[in-house]
Amino acid sequence: MAGPTFVADAPDALSHVALESLTAIYHAPSGMTHLLAPPAPQILAALANRPGTAEDVLARIAESFDLETEDAAAAMSARLGELEAAGLVRRA
Amino acid sequence: MRVTMSDKRDELNEAEGLARPSRRVVLALGAAAASTVVTIRPALAQTAGSVLNCEIPVPAPEAAGSHISADGSLVPAGTQGAFPPAPRPITGEEAKALLNGGPTPAGMDAEAAQAYTNYIRRLQSGMSGFTCYASLQMPR
Repeated sequence: MAGPTFVADAPDALSHVALESLTAIYHAPSGMTHLLAPPAPQILAALANRPGTAEDVLARIAESFDLETEDAAAAMSARLGELEAAGLVRRA
Repeated sequence: MRVTMSDKRDELNEAEGLARPSRRVVLALGAAAASTVVTIRPALAQTAGSVLNCEIPVPAPEAAGSHISADGSLVPAGTQGAFPPAPRPITGEEAKALLNGGPTPAGMDAEAAQAYTNYIRRLQSGMSGFTCYASLQMPR
């Protein structure tokens, strides 16, 4: 079951500042600033210049991290939904 | 005692070694109901899109039925020289154009639109449409 494909803006549209465990991201196209907690920055990185479905994102992140979750699909869907609501990702 | 602790450490190391052969960073995806994104929105610094899509009712719903005099004040219906309420709310984009001396919104009389513009200029905090008007004043 292939869900929607998500797209993130090119990395140069964003300015990142690491604040200990949080990441502040300034999104130039909208002029808005967002504070992200893990795993949101990792999801954005996984989508940077590489659109993908929730499954793709899970697979890409799993290449670098051990995922800790009870229901990976539901959690990833929720995280992508948040990023979409913030305007940091959109559906292709 | 010492033996026990060292045994325990060995067990832990072994368990860790088995579970995470590459000793990678654990990333919690969080619960579905958790929140990992907080967006900072300064009160009036909204995006261009939302500013231009907001609407200003002329007059405000609480003053429905009032007419608008040329200087923008609200007067009873039938007052000489006053204009009837705008047929529809004026959008932020239209208001911005009007305030800059731009074109009259489609379907509106030019003189009435001038009265509506004066009404918009007189909007104060707490009145319907004020937030929309105020956001038009913000530099982008």
